[in-house]
Amino acid sequence: MTAQFEPKIVAYVCNWCTYLGADLAGTNRLEYPPNVRILRLPCTGRIDFNLIVKAFEMGADAVLVSGCHPGDCHYTAGNYHARRRWMLFRRLLDTLGIETERVHFAWISAAEGKKWQQVIGEITEKTRQMGPYAAYQELSEAAK
Amino acid sequence: MSAIIPVAELGELVAGWIGAGKLVAAPVAVGDRLLYQQLASADQAVFDARRRPANSIKEFLFPRHEPLFRYRIEGRGIELSEVAPEEREQIVIGAKPCDAAALPILDLVFNWDFEDGFYTARRARTTVISLACAAEDEACFCTSVGLGPEDEAGSDAMLFDLGDGRFAVRAVTEKGKALFGERQAEPPAPRPGPEPKFDAARVGRYLASHFESPLWKELTLACLGCGACAYTCPTCHCFDMVDEGNAAGGVRVKNWDSCQFPLFTLHASGHNPRSVQPQRQRQRLFHKFVTYPQKFNAVLCTGCGNCERNCPAGLGVLAVLKAIDGEAMNQDAKEPVQA
Amino acid sequence: MTEPGAMTQRLRETCRRLLEEGKVQVVIGWGGAGRLASPTQAESPAPLSFPTQAEPHAPLSGTPAPRPVFITRAEDAEKLEWNDRCFANLTVYLTRKEVKALGKAAVVVKGCDERSLVVLEKESQIERGSLHAIGMVCEGVGTPREAKCAGCEVRVPRFADETIGEAEGAAASATAVASRLDGLMAKSPAERWAFWTAEFARCVKCYACRQVCPLCYCERCIADKNRPVAIETSASARGNFAWHITRAFHLAARCIGCGECSRACPAGIPLGLLNQSLAQATEEDFGYRPGMDPKAEPVFGNWSPADKEDFIR
Repeated sequence: MTAQFEPKIVAYVCNWCTYLGADLAGTNRLEYPPNVRILRLPCTGRIDFNLIVKAFEMGADAVLVSGCHPGDCHYTAGNYHARRRWMLFRRLLDTLGIETERVHFAWISAAEGKKWQQVIGEITEKTRQMGPYAAYQELSEAAK
Repeated sequence: MSAIIPVAELGELVAGWIGAGKLVAAPVAVGDRLLYQQLASADQAVFDARRRPANSIKEFLFPRHEPLFRYRIEGRGIELSEVAPEEREQIVIGAKPCDAAALPILDLVFNWDFEDGFYTARRARTTVISLACAAEDEACFCTSVGLGPEDEAGSDAMLFDLGDGRFAVRAVTEKGKALFGERQAEPPAPRPGPEPKFDAARVGRYLASHFESPLWKELTLACLGCGACAYTCPTCHCFDMVDEGNAAGGVRVKNWDSCQFPLFTLHASGHNPRSVQPQRQRQRLFHKFVTYPQKFNAVLCTGCGNCERNCPAGLGVLAVLKAIDGEAMNQDAKEPVQA
Repeated sequence: MTEPGAMTQRLRETCRRLLEEGKVQVVIGWGGAGRLASPTQAESPAPLSFPTQAEPHAPLSGTPAPRPVFITRAEDAEKLEWNDRCFANLTVYLTRKEVKALGKAAVVVKGCDERSLVVLEKESQIERGSLHAIGMVCEGVGTPREAKCAGCEVRVPRFADETIGEAEGAAASATAVASRLDGLMAKSPAERWAFWTAEFARCVKCYACRQVCPLCYCERCIADKNRPVAIETSASARGNFAWHITRAFHLAARCIGCGECSRACPAGIPLGLLNQSLAQATEEDFGYRPGMDPKAEPVFGNWSPADKEDFIR
C-alpha cells in the first residue's frame, strides 16, 4: 500500500498570540495534524516576505503566517504593518504564478486553541488534496 | 563533399548532432535580440552574419553557476561528494569570430599557475564553428585589438554567409575536420572590418604611466557598477566561490563575479581599496590592456562591443579607450615616445 | 511643440548659466559628443547599428544615443543633448557618493524621471531644496515609443525648478493600449510560472536592474549580505527567483515606473512587469501612486484599520 502524501506545512507565528494559542491547543489535548512545523517570531511585523519564499525553497508544501488580531498586537501595530505587506505580496506571488492557495494568513489569539486546531486541520487537508508543491521543489533540484 | 552548405543542410547537421546526444549551442532569437543558448531543437538556431548576440560563448566553457562538490554535515563529520562531471561533447555553432577568439585568450589564464580542470575539461570537448561577419556597427572594434571579422583564432571551423541561403565552410583544426571533413571552401573576398578606432599598444603605454589621472573620474562617473559588461564580455573571467546550504549540508559553487560590483574588493576588515566607481573602471581597463598583456602577451579583449551595447549607461570600454587614445596621442605629440 | 534642437540649445544655455553663476557645481544631463569621442578621429559612419541598451529599438543607423554626462565646467555645456533617445533616468546618480562629492547638482529630468525625486525626498535620500531640477517637456522616447510612454500623464514635469519646452500642446499621449501585463495576467498561474521560469533562466545576476534603479540606493543591498547569506547569489533557477522576488517587493509601492530595469537587462527580461503588477495593486488597494503627490503618505510605514483583510482567516 503506497504511503499517503503527508504535506509539510510551515507556520510562522507570533510569540504572543498564535504561539500561545497553539500551546493552548496542546494543553487542552486538542489533536491537530503533526504536519505543521512551527517557527516562532516575536511578531508578524517582523516576518520578512522572504521567509515564505525560503519555506517553499526548503520543501514546504504550504505556509501559514499567523499573529495577533488587529488591535491586539503586543507591539501595538506590528500586525497592521504585516497586513499591508501581505496584501501586496500576494499580488506579486500571483503575478509570478506561485500558487497562492498554498500561502495562508490567520489571526489566532492566545485564547484560540480551538481555532489553531481548526486552521491547521483545514490547511493540512487542503494541501494533501493539492499534493506536493512540485514546481518550487523542482527549482531547488535544478539549483543543485 | 561540397564545401558549400545550404542552410537547410546546416539545420540537418545540427539536428543530427542534437539527436546524437551532443550539447549544441547557437544564437537564438529572444525578443528583439540574439542570445547564445543551448538548443532544444535545430530550428531555434539563427545564422545571421549581420547580427551579434548580446551575450558570449564563454558560458559554455565557464558557466555562470557551476557546482563544484556537495557536502553533508553529520555531527562533527563532513562528507564530500563529487558533482557528476558533464561528459557530453559540445558544439557551439554560429559563434562570432570575436567570441571564438576569446578562447585562446582565456586558455592562458586557465592554464597558468593552476590548471582549471573545470574549464579545460569543457574546452577539450567543445568544438567551435564560427560564422564570419558580414557587417559591423559603431560598437565593434575587433580590428583595434588585432582581430578581424574573419579571424580564425579559436575557431575549429568557419562558415561564410554567401548571401543566398548557402554557407561556405572552412575546417581550421582537427576538431573542425572531424565535423566537416576536408571541406576547405575558398572564403569570399575578405572583408576589412571596422576602421581601427584606437591603438591598443599606445593605450596600454599611456595607461601604464597614468594610474593616477583625473581622466578616470571624468570618463567613468556614469558607470553604475553592475555586471552587464563583465558578464556579456567574452574574455572576462572573474568568479566567486560560495557555499550554499544550511546546517545539514549544501553545495560549493563557482559563480561569475564582476569587478564593477561595489563590494568586489571589500575586505573582511571593512576596508575597500576600490571604493569608488572610477577606481573600479580603471582596474577593468588596466586588467584588459596592461596587466593581462604584461603577463600573457595578449590583450584581454576581442573588440566584440558587447560592453558598449549592453551598458545601461552607454559607457562600455570603447568610449573610454578612444578618449584615452586621444589623450595618449596628445601626449605623444608633446613628448614623442623614444624608439 | 518646441523642436528638440531648440530645446537642446536652451538646455545648454541653462547649464552654462547655472555653472557660471555658481548656482550648482555639476549638471547631470544626457550627452555624448566632446571628450568622450576621440578628438582626432572622425566618427566612422557605420552601415548598420545593432540595438544598444541606450537605444533599445534603434533604427538601423545613426550615432549612439546620448549617455549620462556630468558637466562641471560651463564650456562643456556643449556636450548636452536632448532628443527622443534620452532614455536614462539620471536621478539614479543623486544617491551616488562619487557624484555627491562633486557638490550641489542640477539634474535634467523627464516627467517620468521626476517622480523619483518625490520618492527620494520622502525617503530622506535627497534634500529637494539643495537640488536644481531642470525639467524637459517630453513627447516620449524610443522608436517605436517605449511602452511606458503610452498614456503618459507627466509629459510636462511638475516640480522642476525650471522647465524647458512648451507646456501647451503637450497633450497626453494616446491612452495606454492593452498592456503586456494584462496579457500575462489573463494566463493561468501555471502558465505564468512557466513564463517566468523561462525568462529567469536567462538571468545572469548582473544586477543591472538594481544598479540602474534610482530607488535601489541601499549602501549594501540585502543580496550582498553574506553573514549569513540572505538572498542566494547564484544565477540558478532558485537563486534567480529569490532575487527577482526580493527586488520587486523591495520596490513595492515605491517604484515609479521609469522602466529602466527592463531596458538595462542584457538578457531582455521584462522585469518591469513585476513592478507594474505591484503598482497596479498599490493603486487598487491604497489609491497610492508613488512619486505623483509629494504630500501623499507612503504605503509601507503606514497602516489603516480599513486595510482589506478578506484573505485572512
